[in-house]
Amino acid sequence: MLLLSILWILQDLLTVLFGGVMQLPELFLMGIVYKLIIDEREDKLWAIWTAFFGGLLWDLRWVGVPGFFTLGYVVVVALILWAWRVIPVHGRTLWVVFLLLESSQIIPNLVPVLILGGSTGSSFFISQQLYALPAFIICLLIYSKHANSEQD
Amino acid sequence: MQSHNRNQVIEFVHIIIALILGLFLLGGGANLGVSKSAVDLLGAVLSVPEYPAEFLRGVFLSWSEWVNNKDSVFVKLKLLQEENIKLKALNAELLKDRIDAGLDANLREARVTLRAPSSWWNEIRIDRGGRDDITEGLPVFNNGFLIGRISSVSLLSSWAELLTSPSLMLPVVIEETRELGIIEGDGAGRILLQYIPVGRGIKPGMSVSTALIGEDVPSGLPIGKIAEELAPTPDGYAVYRVEPGADLSKFYTVSFLNLNKIK
Repeated sequence: MLLLSILWILQDLLTVLFGGVMQLPELFLMGIVYKLIIDEREDKLWAIWTAFFGGLLWDLRWVGVPGFFTLGYVVVVALILWAWRVIPVHGRTLWVVFLLLESSQIIPNLVPVLILGGSTGSSFFISQQLYALPAFIICLLIYSKHANSEQD
Repeated sequence: MQSHNRNQVIEFVHIIIALILGLFLLGGGANLGVSKSAVDLLGAVLSVPEYPAEFLRGVFLSWSEWVNNKDSVFVKLKLLQEENIKLKALNAELLKDRIDAGLDANLREARVTLRAPSSWWNEIRIDRGGRDDITEGLPVFNNGFLIGRISSVSLLSSWAELLTSPSLMLPVVIEETRELGIIEGDGAGRILLQYIPVGRGIKPGMSVSTALIGEDVPSGLPIGKIAEELAPTPDGYAVYRVEPGADLSKFYTVSFLNLNKIK
């Protein structure tokens, strides 16, 4: 939980620093998704409510209207929970992990567009994915090590 | 297995509750009135850890703004420099007007008491001295034009060196072109303007006045006009004869400035 709190604050500080200049990745949600993937405990309720309250705080800090990122984050966690259960263990490849991490970047930003209408330019998503790429790579490397140690 | 399914059901229920709460907040949160207070409270709490980031952002933005606006800043700087030059010129004109007004108001008369034939074009003696606030270097006028400077002072009389003297050299300026040169006499009644390069467009009739000489002789004192161009020197400098505004061949009174009053 401490790591996720740090990630939320880091994402907030980076948004203060670079907001309007570059599209920052959803570090907090990426942290939840990664933790969900490597967490082998049965109880995953922490992820749902961490995403809920993290999204709510984000809404209150940066949107002004609660609900947008709250819903987006919860939807992502629900999707990950479902996908990780449906996909068999031998099918949980790096590509699958990559796609799940990717969903944490796209879905929350789509929710406001789907609810309020309007369009978000493709450059918005492309730049966000580019900035998220280093974090993706770090997550994939750690997951790869984790998976290898599990196999051993 | 049963426990596994039970966990899944609980997760499903929690997800549904979280989604309903999220939708409820989305639909009614803005109208509840609490969201604004919550936004303000959270903003106030986060302003403490966000302060360094805010500060860095300010630095970054001002820096990038300076880089982006660099060209327009230089253009503005150039405009200001041009404006500054014009203002300086205007200020100089105002100063000259003030000096002229000062000259008119503070000129004092003196009689010529001696003009020796042997140094007719070099010096005169006047009936005013240290008692009348005359000091060495003071400009001497006749008919409103500069004719020389005080060269020595005694209590009751003074000697003034004339512009026609070969030992009196004064820096001057051509009013129309702002070219600077030196005038000196030839000891035979002529005043020559020298040290101006050939081809500077100086023509007969242009006005000659003093340039900045020192505290005793202000700039802009009228001397006369360019009369004719003479043969240039071997160094490539033009020589002009200056027709003084005052009649130096015969005058019986002169005026001098009381600079103490002007100052």
